Amino acid sequence: MRHAMPQVAREVTPHTGSDRPSRIDDATLARALEAIVGPRGVHQHRSELAVYTSDGLPGYRKFPSLAVFPATRTQLIDVVLLLAEHAVPFVPRGAGTGLSGGALADGVVLLGLNRLRRVLSLDPHNAIAIVEPGVVNAALSRAAAPFDLYYAPDPSSQAACTIGGNVAENAGGPHCLKYGVTLNHVLGVTALLPDGEIVTLGPGATGVESTGYDLLGAFVGSEGCFGVALDVTVMLTRAPQAVRTLLADFLSMDDAARATSAIIASGILPAALEMMDGPTIRAVEASIYAAGYPADADAVLLAEVDGLAAGLDADAETIAGLCTAHGARTVRIASDPADRARLWQGRKKAFGAMGRISSHLVVQDAVIPRTQLPEVLARIREIATRHRVTVCNVFHAGDGNLHPNIGYNAYDADESARVDRAMSEIMRVCIDAGGTITGEHGVGLDKLRYMEMIFSPASLAAQCRLREVFDPTRRANPGKVVPVHSCREWTRRPA
Amino acid sequence: MSAPGEAWTPTTVAAVQEAVREAAATRSPIRIVGRGTWLDAGWPVAADARALRLDALRGITQYTPGDLTLTALGGTPLSEITDATTAEGQWLALDPFGAADHGGTIGATFATASAGPLAHACGLPRDIALGMEVVTGDGEIVRAGGRVVKNVAGYDLTRLMTGAWGTLGIITEISVRLRARPAVDRTLAVTRAGAVESAADVAADLRGAPIAPLAAELLNPALAARLGVTATGTSVLLVRLGGNAERVASEHAAVGEIGDGAVIDSDVWRAMRQCERSYPDGAVLRWSQLAGRVSDTWRYVVQSCAGFPDALIHASLTRGVVRAILPVPDATALARMLRTDGRPSGGHAFAGGRIAERLPARLWSGEPSAVAANRLARRVRVAFDPWHVLNPGVLGEGTRDEADRHEFHGG
Repeated sequence: MRHAMPQVAREVTPHTGSDRPSRIDDATLARALEAIVGPRGVHQHRSELAVYTSDGLPGYRKFPSLAVFPATRTQLIDVVLLLAEHAVPFVPRGAGTGLSGGALADGVVLLGLNRLRRVLSLDPHNAIAIVEPGVVNAALSRAAAPFDLYYAPDPSSQAACTIGGNVAENAGGPHCLKYGVTLNHVLGVTALLPDGEIVTLGPGATGVESTGYDLLGAFVGSEGCFGVALDVTVMLTRAPQAVRTLLADFLSMDDAARATSAIIASGILPAALEMMDGPTIRAVEASIYAAGYPADADAVLLAEVDGLAAGLDADAETIAGLCTAHGARTVRIASDPADRARLWQGRKKAFGAMGRISSHLVVQDAVIPRTQLPEVLARIREIATRHRVTVCNVFHAGDGNLHPNIGYNAYDADESARVDRAMSEIMRVCIDAGGTITGEHGVGLDKLRYMEMIFSPASLAAQCRLREVFDPTRRANPGKVVPVHSCREWTRRPA
Repeated sequence: MSAPGEAWTPTTVAAVQEAVREAAATRSPIRIVGRGTWLDAGWPVAADARALRLDALRGITQYTPGDLTLTALGGTPLSEITDATTAEGQWLALDPFGAADHGGTIGATFATASAGPLAHACGLPRDIALGMEVVTGDGEIVRAGGRVVKNVAGYDLTRLMTGAWGTLGIITEISVRLRARPAVDRTLAVTRAGAVESAADVAADLRGAPIAPLAAELLNPALAARLGVTATGTSVLLVRLGGNAERVASEHAAVGEIGDGAVIDSDVWRAMRQCERSYPDGAVLRWSQLAGRVSDTWRYVVQSCAGFPDALIHASLTRGVVRAILPVPDATALARMLRTDGRPSGGHAFAGGRIAERLPARLWSGEPSAVAANRLARRVRVAFDPWHVLNPGVLGEGTRDEADRHEFHGG
């Protein structure tokens, strides 16, 4: 049935998965890069590079061969052309807040995009902005605020993370329950492919409907493996007329999970529906981010509804009623913006609060069908007890996007091994419940090992094919997302 | 598996795979057919293509209402999904134009990225698809995404397949996001005196009003008359409101500030989506640019279609799209209109873009293809269908291109 296709001999650099070893030594490359970006834009010393050895997920440590930080679009293009000329693999990086090890460069060039932080245009009438990749998520919303607009996707790291990084990861956030993830807000990307070609993806600011393949949809969430964005055109969202934030506390996590399912099934689409369990609540309340959550609760639900003022109180009351019916001890409705911000602070800073308690933290990002919440949370508790680890659950309950986190001491070999086993078992439970391994953090390095648990070899090979459309030599963010051997199998196999 | 020339009618994904492998082995083109609703859309497929009918690959494979997601085989008619979800107070909020009574199949709807008036509030197929199973052009069964509502595991083949018209893979199963049906679902037909030419200005009023409608479509007098929503020969704005009773009442009042709003049967949306079926040999064209300029687009399209007195024109105001359904008794007039489209005529230049949905076969050759013109798109095509057997030609991408394949697959 299959027809022989002439085979291509490929050299593979063992640890990166990139096709070809680079043809230039680091010192020569550094000089050539300095000629483009100036000496201050290139870091080569180990002490300088140490800053870039991990991202938002402690536990991985990889040293880049060098790091380069273009300050302008022209410099960025020249840098990528130079890297292409010498077949040098590179890892794009925004603010380095990612939680999957995706922006780590293991002995290859790290390409920092955080100096490209201009908002190029903002059209309030059409609610469209064009930004450079290094623009910080919250800074874009601040720029849009005078026009009563904001950028809707709100990852918890939004005070630091960049739009370019958001595009690479297809970032989510609490409010994507109603407003959608990055994909749903990006209208276009001017992409610089690893070979230096510049392509326009999506309709951008023209408003003209696209036809042909959804290459923009493919690019968003490609984790830096398809190239880098020179600029990103995003849709801004009109600030809602009114907002109501509710906090319900429960003495049983099961009850909170059932309340979540009931709210989703009720037909109300909350702007956000977040859950925190007892250990998380206590970590937050013991930290400087204390939000006034009842410290003896087993779970709190943070729900928000927004939109037109008319009918909003009715929705808030329906949600409050469902919480009470499912065993909530108290339901608080935040009235003024300061009170709302305080309730949210505890949620957004929960990861930070956990950092106070333990030196290392594993962060999972599995997604499960929403009706499975009570069952899966119970299984997670059982797994944690069996392996003697403490799981903190803080997550997007409305989406079924779990973040079971385990704090531990990485220098304790026994504890590390137990944490590792517990996490693998938790992932298995989520997959068996019909879920997936990552909802918003990306695969990166951290979830590479789970890819074969959810995708067949043929499906992984198809992903490699898509990658090769954009990056035939596999130099952009090598060794991430799809296990390298899955791609090798495809290149050896006749089509 | 079946005689040459006869249609394949697989009932399992394995049978689809077998058919594609057979076609790939002999480099024979396949015409993918759902329920045959929309076969005259898109560029003509290679004339010698053998049909692969998916209507027997049918059925809902997973539906847990509390998850607000549903999984169905590619050949499942939308009507079957509507029936199942309506019983639970939910819906797949996707109402493609040009639909037949059964709505066409879910596979075809996503393959062609077809949408309708609800897209404004509920999103396009790319926003609704959660995961897919496809059979690629080399006969591999590939799964992408999943059935959960948030998923970034791996590169996004689901988005790639959505709108690819089957040229990258045959959709054999798909998971979608559902919504709860609003407690109140009310449609208003809004008119205002003497508003025929300035009707597009309601778009501005609509943007300023404290409402968040499910859909808002402006109909030209011919379409309004055909749907029976006006007796006065004026343009009509259809607004669909949804939400709890208090919210809809408030929005209803706000719409009253725009014009005279009469509550009408929401069946009008079904009738509107199907009206083009009364012009079986007609043309359907779509113009778009920024929603903030939809008034200009509307005026331009009305002017361009002046030579077609029975043209049915409607605008999705908040999406900036104006769509015209034209009876074509005389293809020469249409050819002339297509040729001069975009050029200033009568003082109206148009800076946006045009998409042809349906045209008389011989006029397709003049249409620009987004795939043929794009190197990356051509690479995608050969990456997923190296032998160019899946619906060849339907995207105007040309016939099998040895150079593309050589470049991508090497050798």
